[in-house]
Amino acid sequence: MKKRGNFLFIEKKDNIYTLSLTPELQDDIGTVGFIEYSNENTLKVDDPILNLEASKTVHEIDSPLAGKIVERNEAAISEPTLLNSAKTEENWIVKLTDVDEEAFNQLEDA
Amino acid sequence: MNQEARLDYLIDYLLDENPDAKEWMDKLDTVEEKITLFRGLCNIREPKSVTKPFMKIQDAFLKEWNHGRNIISLKDLEPARPQLYLWQGDITSIAVDAIVNAANSKFLGCLRANHNCIDNIIHTRAGVQLRLECHDLITAQGRKEPMGKAKMTKAYNLPSNYVIHTVGPFIDERGVSPFKEQLLASSYRSCLALADEHQLGTIAFCCISTGEFNFPNQRAAEIAIQTVKEYINKNQSNLQVIFNVFKEKDLLIYQSLLEN
Repeated sequence: MKKRGNFLFIEKKDNIYTLSLTPELQDDIGTVGFIEYSNENTLKVDDPILNLEASKTVHEIDSPLAGKIVERNEAAISEPTLLNSAKTEENWIVKLTDVDEEAFNQLEDA
Repeated sequence: MNQEARLDYLIDYLLDENPDAKEWMDKLDTVEEKITLFRGLCNIREPKSVTKPFMKIQDAFLKEWNHGRNIISLKDLEPARPQLYLWQGDITSIAVDAIVNAANSKFLGCLRANHNCIDNIIHTRAGVQLRLECHDLITAQGRKEPMGKAKMTKAYNLPSNYVIHTVGPFIDERGVSPFKEQLLASSYRSCLALADEHQLGTIAFCCISTGEFNFPNQRAAEIAIQTVKEYINKNQSNLQVIFNVFKEKDLLIYQSLLEN
């Protein structure tokens, strides 16, 4: 099941929720030149996931869901333009667990 | 020391720091021309500390320059709606708890000499200390300031107590998108939340993103008013909120929106 919130896609598979950039967000921020993940592993709604500097904006990506980060897209740190890719395997940012399913279900359908 | 003598001192000091700027000195007959040169030199100045005498003379000059105008406080205004006020004029002549500055991601204030933007006039009239504090904040953060967030500094020589700096969305040739609208709302919310966090009573907003950042005035005003109303209701906030407009166009837009 796939939802959207804060201009991100959230894809649920088993109990892992993968957050990736929507094409609209990619279009609005431009080519990503630098990213920095926040150190916090436990997120509340709207807590920062990462900060990025791109050709069109400086932006903090905030989490649409509370949860626990189990994996970050480390490859995007050395190659930030991965976040401009059309493929979810490349433009994902974090994988979350411990997400309240009800909160997920209430997000807008993607 | 009168204002002109203070200006002479300040200009000498700033030119001594920045000898390349001496070529600007061709016209220096009137106090107005001296103010322009002083402002320009402060605008292009690197964020580095100044001597105590400079600070003292600058502060004396700015206090007199800033307060030699009609200063507006909340009691001079009538609410247009509960907790909401509208006032047209220069935001640096408002004396409230906090005024909002439309900053950019570099966060150091406008670097263009005498550029006619709000960031420039706020930094000019606050004094060189404001750039120093902004520089400390952004250096501590270690990266540029994202859009839609807010940071607070002292207001130094301005009549208000604090400046809340927010970077609004920049609108390019592709126009407004839902993302940019959300970022503008986020700028307003972040400023309000910061003001409440510091238990401030009154905040004066400029028209964020509408100047240099090209956000269409009508849509920006709709988002501004709607976001502030929603924030106050949702958080039961007691903040008194002034919408400060500068242009006639914005005055008419806000008047019409606040009437309905």
